[in-house]
Amino acid sequence: MTEDSQRNFRSVYYEKMGFRGVEEKKSLEILLKDDPLGILPPHHESHAQVMMYRKDQYCDVLHALKVIRFISDATPQVEVYLRMYQLESGKLPRSPSFPLEPEDEVFLAIAKAMEEMVKDSVDCYWIIRCFVNQLNNKYRDSLPQLPKALEQYLNLEDSRLLNHLKSCSAVSKLPYDLWFKRCFAGCLPESSLQRVWDKVVSGSCKILVFVAVEILLTFKLKVMALNSAEKITKFLENIPRDSSDAVVSKAIDLWHKHCGTPVHSA
Amino acid sequence: MAQPANVGELLSMLDSPTLGVRNDVTAVFKENLYSDRGPMLVNTLVDYYLETNSQPVLHILTTLQEPHDKHLLDKINEYVGKAATRLSILLLLGHVVRLQPSWKHKLSQAPLLPTLLKCLKMDTDVVVLTTGVLVLITMLPMIPQSGKQHLLDFFDIFGRLSSWCLKKPGHVTEIYLVHLHASVYALFHRLYGMYPCNFVSFLRSHYSMKENLETFEEVVKPMMEHVRIHPELVTGSKDHELDPRRWKKLETHDVVIECAKISLDPTEASYEDGYSVSQPLCTRFPHRPADITTSPYVDTQNSYGNATSTPYSTSRPMLFSTPGQLAHSLSFPSTRPLPEPPQATLWSPSVVCGMTTPPTSPGNVLPDLSHPYSKVFGTTGGKGTPLGTPATSPPPAPLCHSDDYMHISLPQVAATHPRKEERTESTRPCLHRQPHLPNDRGLEELASTKGSVTLSDLPGFLGNLALEEDSIEKDKEEAAISKELSEITTAEAEPVVPRGGFDSPFYRDSLSGSQRKTHSAASGTQGSSANPEPLHSSLDKLGPDTPKQAFTPIDLPCGRADTSLAGDRDRQTSLETNILTPSPCKIPPRTGVDFGSGKPPPYDHLFEVALPKTACHFVSKKTEELLKKAKGNPEEDSTPSTSPVEVLDRLIQQGADAHSKELSKLSLPSKSVDWTHFGGSPPSDEIRTLRDQLLLLHNQLLYERFKRQQHALRNRRLLRKVIRAAALEEHNAAMKDQLKLQEKDIQIWKMSLQKEQARYSQLQEQRDTMVTHLHSQIRQLQHDREEFYNQSQELQTKLEDCRNMIAELRVELKKANNKVCHTELLLSQVSQKLSNSESVQQQMEFLNRQLLVLGEVNELYLEQLQNKHSDTTKEVEMMKAAYRKELEKNRSHVLQQNQRLDTSQKRILELESHLAKKDHLLLEQKKYLEDVKAQARGQLQAAESRYEAQKRITQVFELEILDLYSKLEKDGLLQKLQEEKAEAAEAAEERLDCCNDGCLDSTEGHNEEASGHNGETKTPRPGGTRGSSGGRGAAGGGSSNSSSELSTPEKPPSQRAGPFSRREATMGEPSPGIPTVGSLPSSKSFLGMRARELFRNKSESQCDEDGTATCSLSESLKTELGKDSGVEAKTSLNLDGPHPSPPSLDSVGQLRIMDYNEAHHEHS
Repeated sequence: MTEDSQRNFRSVYYEKMGFRGVEEKKSLEILLKDDPLGILPPHHESHAQVMMYRKDQYCDVLHALKVIRFISDATPQVEVYLRMYQLESGKLPRSPSFPLEPEDEVFLAIAKAMEEMVKDSVDCYWIIRCFVNQLNNKYRDSLPQLPKALEQYLNLEDSRLLNHLKSCSAVSKLPYDLWFKRCFAGCLPESSLQRVWDKVVSGSCKILVFVAVEILLTFKLKVMALNSAEKITKFLENIPRDSSDAVVSKAIDLWHKHCGTPVHSA
Repeated sequence: MAQPANVGELLSMLDSPTLGVRNDVTAVFKENLYSDRGPMLVNTLVDYYLETNSQPVLHILTTLQEPHDKHLLDKINEYVGKAATRLSILLLLGHVVRLQPSWKHKLSQAPLLPTLLKCLKMDTDVVVLTTGVLVLITMLPMIPQSGKQHLLDFFDIFGRLSSWCLKKPGHVTEIYLVHLHASVYALFHRLYGMYPCNFVSFLRSHYSMKENLETFEEVVKPMMEHVRIHPELVTGSKDHELDPRRWKKLETHDVVIECAKISLDPTEASYEDGYSVSQPLCTRFPHRPADITTSPYVDTQNSYGNATSTPYSTSRPMLFSTPGQLAHSLSFPSTRPLPEPPQATLWSPSVVCGMTTPPTSPGNVLPDLSHPYSKVFGTTGGKGTPLGTPATSPPPAPLCHSDDYMHISLPQVAATHPRKEERTESTRPCLHRQPHLPNDRGLEELASTKGSVTLSDLPGFLGNLALEEDSIEKDKEEAAISKELSEITTAEAEPVVPRGGFDSPFYRDSLSGSQRKTHSAASGTQGSSANPEPLHSSLDKLGPDTPKQAFTPIDLPCGRADTSLAGDRDRQTSLETNILTPSPCKIPPRTGVDFGSGKPPPYDHLFEVALPKTACHFVSKKTEELLKKAKGNPEEDSTPSTSPVEVLDRLIQQGADAHSKELSKLSLPSKSVDWTHFGGSPPSDEIRTLRDQLLLLHNQLLYERFKRQQHALRNRRLLRKVIRAAALEEHNAAMKDQLKLQEKDIQIWKMSLQKEQARYSQLQEQRDTMVTHLHSQIRQLQHDREEFYNQSQELQTKLEDCRNMIAELRVELKKANNKVCHTELLLSQVSQKLSNSESVQQQMEFLNRQLLVLGEVNELYLEQLQNKHSDTTKEVEMMKAAYRKELEKNRSHVLQQNQRLDTSQKRILELESHLAKKDHLLLEQKKYLEDVKAQARGQLQAAESRYEAQKRITQVFELEILDLYSKLEKDGLLQKLQEEKAEAAEAAEERLDCCNDGCLDSTEGHNEEASGHNGETKTPRPGGTRGSSGGRGAAGGGSSNSSSELSTPEKPPSQRAGPFSRREATMGEPSPGIPTVGSLPSSKSFLGMRARELFRNKSESQCDEDGTATCSLSESLKTELGKDSGVEAKTSLNLDGPHPSPPSLDSVGQLRIMDYNEAHHEHS
């Protein structure tokens, strides 16, 4: 390492930037080629055009929805996003009055959170769309594994707490939907959520586990005090927001601790 | 138990002359007493004793054991109460008490004591009183704790009796008073010794009364002069004195000695424990020698001592020799008196008086002796009365007045008024010449005892003494010690001499000169019958005190006679100054006077010859006077008065002297005759008086004996201490010897140590020298080594140089070799060249030869030429020129070729670089292409997604349209049915239009155009898309396409069909809904039939397969095609062959699809 650092003092900086090696050009190329969400191509030249396409698409879909009177100007933006997404994925119900599916609820939650983060509606829509697609496609197999991972890491961090949860038989009743399907949308404030979602977007869905573990550890006393699974779940669904930033920071630390650098985990 | 009668017999038998019987009877009595505890026998014995004065009975009574003491005391108490028996019973009591029975402590509790005290307070009989007082005095040390109760009684008695001494109540004979006075004096001593504080306070209170003042002045004050201040007066208190604890640790004899210690009376005092050193010496010695010198009484004593040589003289040294004793208190000679107590038992007053025992033979008595005796009596008689003291009342003694004795009476005066007399009665010139008889005797005794017990004899004495000790074990020990002592004393006689000798007057003498010593010794031994030899031995003892004069003893015998007289006067005068000093050295004057008195010692006559008596007297008087003047009477103040005891002693002696004198004079056998002969008619009570006196004397003697016993006890103890001290000293000496030996050893060891040290130092020096030598050697060797080292260094440098040189040489050699090689090479080259040159030369030669030959040939040819024509040369020249030109041409050609080659090569390089550039470009292009591809892909994806979106939108729109259609159709269903019956084809067209209209609503231009064309040509393309329901024959071909297109996106419609169909189902009956689509052409038409069939099929079998259904459908279509061909000829004409009935098929397909989807949906 010393030799390495002597050889190239920028290696630390490179690592910070996510380059694995000193061959920065290649890494940079790899990074630049990376297209986490697929909204815009890596090529800058085509950005404008692609963006135009995206915008057109957005407008088209929006128009179509308006035409078929599925949405109106009064429709909340989040629902608009939902309908657009449904339309695009061919899942648009016949009538807006139809009850929402669970996945639609998930979408709504994510969209609501995202709406706070992104101002532009086109961007917002696209980000939401791609984020949800990523969850549904890329993490379709790994998301169901997360509860188990949570149990495992919780055991490492605080077995007593896990035992308590087990004794309350609350392990299976933890708000996994909120945590892993909605990716804490509605659970954490957007500012904190952003940091978590950055990781998720970058390809690590495990961060969700650590955030969950950290939430449990942070509110350990409270959780330990509660004895029934329902109460615990209820509490965890409505955790206080003020400490979320610290929770996320700790969770990232924990994630680093258990999964190494973000590059490795990616 | 002895019967009374039996007892009487036995009692009478007690006095039987037979010794055996007496012993037996005594044993019987004792046995009885032992067995019988009753008082009767004791009472009987007491009664018997009172009757007979039987000695055996007395013996028994005095040895009574414990249980009988009470009876005895009761009996005595009883008899003391009676006046008649009082005296005798007091005597008995005295006997009993003096023997110190084991029950003596009970005396204090017994009723006898109060009775006795009462008796002493009440009785008026002097004899009884004296006896009682003596008994009391004897008892007091035994019961010191009784003082607490009876102290005041004691004091009262003292007060009463002291006043008696002065007042002489009644008809008391004065001679009794002497005894009484003596006993009171003893009582005074006892009380003062035991209870000083109380007694002094009593005296103070009692004699502060005026009526007692005289008694105090006359009686008590003189007594007080004989005591020192009791230490208890300072340290003690009244209560402390009476504290029983104080007395517990003191035994009887301790008490007696305690009392004696505080006495200044030489007859009473005991000088122990340093009491004696200061005061007695200073106060008493100064005057004593002077007295002696002047006292003629010395003669009496001397003669008396000579005449009798009785134990009396030896019985007193305890008291009288004290001044000398003092000096020897810690030395061996101090033990001298001890052997004598046994002798004292033989002594009795009668012996002194010469009453019972026969007088000493006249042969022993020197001629002068009778003379002093008479003098004594004479003076006592003469001088006693005017003084008024009890001592001055002389007994009826022969009056032999002599001048000498005049002075002797003075002591009696001094006893009462020592100095007052002297001052008032200045007429008595010789007042100061108080003969201190005891002192004189003490000296005498000192000398005699010294003579009798010499140092060499000491072991023998000690041995005897040890034998007399009660304890046998102690005896053995002390015998051993004494033996040791004897060895030591014989071995080292000189150093063990008493230390006290320094303090003694003799010591002074020895210091001042040997002559004086001889005088003193001579004077000391004047009266004694002892030989000069013991005296010398005693002097020998003194001599060694001063080691410097160790030779003096040898000189003494011879020098005494020669020098004494010559130096006598000088010494007297010279020593007067000495006398003035308070030093105890007062002997010289005495000696001079003594010599002058002319005394018995064998050599006395020499003195008499040299110094007549008168001269001696004169000289002595003169010296005395001078002394007085010089001193200013200091010594008289300090001189105590004569004690009553002395007076009594003197009285007795005088009596004895008188008696013996009378006896010798008259030699009368009977006393009565004596008396008659003496004074004519003797007084009637004279005999009784004498008896009483005798009795009193006896009592006094017994008291004295008691005291002596106490002293003896104490002396034994002291002796033991002394022996122990001596043993310790011996031990010390031995230890010192050992120490010396060890010191010697140490010395030897030190010597050897020094030797060893010297040797060691020598060795050290040797070693040092060796070391230095070796060091120098080492240094030398080191120096050598360094030199060698330097040499080797030089050599090494040389070696280095040589090596360098060798290396250089080698290099040179190499160079040389190289040169050689080079030269060889050159040589070979040269040789080669040489050979070459040789060969060249040869060639040259050859060539030369050839040249020559050729020259010759040439010449020949020339000749030939010359001989021939000259045109050949032109030809040759022409040829040459041609050749030259040709050559040049060729050369330029080659040049050209070369240039061309260069250019072509350059071109190749250029082309190659160009190629590389092209390759690079190609790569770049490829990359770019990739980029572009990716970009395009991105864009394409975006476009695709857009397209997808569009498709979705379209689908949505289609759905919407369909929905709307369904609504529309619902409305106009009946109307259409009727119309269709009339003209099916037209209706279909209308419907198409209507459909197009619907399309217009949602989609853009294409659909509008398609709907607008509506013709046969256009139907295949866009019309087909919307021609789903096209049942028209003309549009069959196009509709088949559209149908196929429509049928492909199965899922989205089906998905939406689900809810749609459900909605339909919820809205109403499904059957009418289906006809809207399925039975759209007509229920009677083929399509309608098929639709119905299909629906039925579907309803019947829900799970029919797609493929089979289509197959069957197509088959059925084919089969029915033939049937319908005729009917629909027009349509087949318009359309292509293979598409005869696409609309129907299309609709059916759609229906089927819908159906399938519905079924599928139901399944899912």
